[in-house]
Amino acid sequence: MKVVEIQNLTFSYSRSASPTIDDFSFSMNTGEIVGVLGQSGSGKSTLLRLISGLEMPKKGSITIAGKPVVNDRLFVQPEDRGVGMVFQDYALFPHMTVKENILFGLSRMAKKDRKPRVKEMLELVQMEDFGDRYPHELSGGQQQRVALARALAPKPKVLLMDEPFSNLDADLKESIREDLLLILKKANMTCMIVTHDRNDVEAICNYSITMCPLIAEQGAAGEKFQTL
Amino acid sequence: MRTNLKRFLQKDFNSWWMISIIGAAVILLPILFIFFSLFQEPNENWFQIREYLLKTYVANTVILVLLTGIFTAILGVSLAWLVAAYDFPLKRFFRWGLLLPLAIPPYIAAYTYKTMFSYTGVIQTTLRNQFNYQIDPEILSISSLRGAIFIFTFFLFPYVYIMTKAFLESQSSSFFENARLLGRKPISIFVKVVLPLSRPAIVAGAVLVIYEVLSDYGVTSYFGIHTISTAIFQTWFGMYDIDSAMRLAAWLMVIILGMFILERLLRQRRRYHLNNKSRPLVPMKLKGFKAAAAFAYCSIVFLIGFLIPLIQLIAWAKLTFSKVWDETFITLFFQTIFVAAIATVLILFLSVVVANVCRRHTTGSYILAKLTTTGYSIPGAIIAIGVLAMFITLDKWLAPLYSYIGLGDAPLILSLSLVMLIVGYVIRFMATGFNAVEVGYEKIGTKFSEASRLLGFGMTKTFFKVDLPLIKGALVSGFILTFVEICKELPLALLLRPFNFDTLATKTHQYAKDELIHEASISSLMIIGISILSVVVFQMIDKKVQR
Repeated sequence: MKVVEIQNLTFSYSRSASPTIDDFSFSMNTGEIVGVLGQSGSGKSTLLRLISGLEMPKKGSITIAGKPVVNDRLFVQPEDRGVGMVFQDYALFPHMTVKENILFGLSRMAKKDRKPRVKEMLELVQMEDFGDRYPHELSGGQQQRVALARALAPKPKVLLMDEPFSNLDADLKESIREDLLLILKKANMTCMIVTHDRNDVEAICNYSITMCPLIAEQGAAGEKFQTL
Repeated sequence: MRTNLKRFLQKDFNSWWMISIIGAAVILLPILFIFFSLFQEPNENWFQIREYLLKTYVANTVILVLLTGIFTAILGVSLAWLVAAYDFPLKRFFRWGLLLPLAIPPYIAAYTYKTMFSYTGVIQTTLRNQFNYQIDPEILSISSLRGAIFIFTFFLFPYVYIMTKAFLESQSSSFFENARLLGRKPISIFVKVVLPLSRPAIVAGAVLVIYEVLSDYGVTSYFGIHTISTAIFQTWFGMYDIDSAMRLAAWLMVIILGMFILERLLRQRRRYHLNNKSRPLVPMKLKGFKAAAAFAYCSIVFLIGFLIPLIQLIAWAKLTFSKVWDETFITLFFQTIFVAAIATVLILFLSVVVANVCRRHTTGSYILAKLTTTGYSIPGAIIAIGVLAMFITLDKWLAPLYSYIGLGDAPLILSLSLVMLIVGYVIRFMATGFNAVEVGYEKIGTKFSEASRLLGFGMTKTFFKVDLPLIKGALVSGFILTFVEICKELPLALLLRPFNFDTLATKTHQYAKDELIHEASISSLMIIGISILSVVVFQMIDKKVQR
């Protein structure tokens, strides 16, 4: 089943600027882990922001789990799309503990189910002993696990990860990649990972797409392409 | 087109936008009222004003603005450079001590210095009694354009000082070290490197000074100088001619609009300056004569701009305390606090909403932010006239309703109430609250609220759960800075207060106007006490930035 369907997506940050993403189409099936590669400025992170609803495309449509979330006539707010996201710098709320951070996304869940879900998530990312700590009391790798647990807790239809390894040391990166793959598989999560490191893709993803920056002079002739 | 609009509405149009637009409209309406007055048929008074008085008003205003601008720039920049680039005795104290003149509103400084320099004042009395020396009173008279420039310079220079100091301290030392390696002496470095480099900061500070001077009523009216602002008061209260007062206000608005555009053009250049923070400026230790000279310069400015008037006011307060201090003073104090608190809460509410909407940097949000903060550049007298015109019109519209609920035919309900003064304060000081809140939002960025939105919370819940706890500090500083500005404010309070309603500022002005300067000292000291709060906040922000 198709979880994300993107058709003829076009986006630019200002009216006069050449599009960051131009006439881009793509789809993802349930349980797939897709890597998004590309140079800086090629529109990788923008693609995630468009899927999550943090930006509005100029043209094109996006459908998530069979439900249109944006097209020529429609725009569904980010909070109503059922999309989870792990930000590049994790964006853990500094005034909340680990537990509170995870609990934050469970407001639509029945009250009695919330605490067990937090526990389940902490177990999934092996952070059971760190529930009462604040984000600044955790290492980079631990923060990333919490961000992942927080994003997975509300059971999103798709998980988006924006350069999740960019803030980690090389040694740590390798072990965390393996853990991440394990967690995603356990959760049977459909996931899109933006990265600039091919090793990330090889270690975790089923396949990848590569985004190329448009050359302004070429205008409409420039094209995005995807490699499977 | 229609589908795009629908999508836009679905994405961005919510209660936050609606409140922002209503807020901007309320702020803009009085200003529009004034502009419309330019297109109405002028009355006879206006021809007389234009023929015989306008030239003097404009000339005095321009001289005041220009010379104060130049002198505050000289004083502010030289002190900022001394404090940022050198170490000398008591420099750590002067870093924040030189902000203290901001705590004394220029109108209080004017009353104090005029009396100190008068025949019965401390200076002439001391010269006569201790040194048997009779000085020509003309030499010491400061009730003139010259005196007003002196007062404005010594009590407003901290605007230039604070901006230039912050700018210089954020610059890389390599500019100045390079200049030294290229053989330049300190004065040459100051003229050739420091001044051009800090131009945007100097201009930004000087523009704030100019706005204050244009807005002033207390100093100029007390010294008997005719400026456009004092003329607005005279036409309103002396001739009871609101139409001509509005026309004068419109002319002043035109001057300010010109200034506003000029400032924007000059600020654009700031982008061309490098902001390399790699190695900040390391202060150089001064020794011997140079250290003493730097210390003396800072001390003299501090004495004139803060300590001398403060000691004089305390001395007068001791003399008059038993005579003046009574229950009405406590009522006055609480009245001031009450009205300032209501206006500040409204300002912060609107600031939080508008600044949140403006976090998405679109053209629409930029215009919205500019519109809601225009009030700061508009003198209190203009805002007062606009607000009054707006409320009289509103009362006319509401007349049938008043009559229906038994308040009589065509009474003035809103235009005689405290609401008018509060609206005036909100328009005038919106920028102070907004800027503080905006800094808070900028510091936390958008990532936390974006994360919250993706975890299922809408804009309002996100604000209360995520943004509010994170911008608490900015809200507190915004509250204090705005509150203090309102407590000090004079022209708006004089023009828009209801009958029999006084604030500390209006009471001080009233005493001074009745030549009861000694009696004015207690309310003046209360205002200074409240104002020192804002200096403490500046100091705390500065410390945070340094850390």
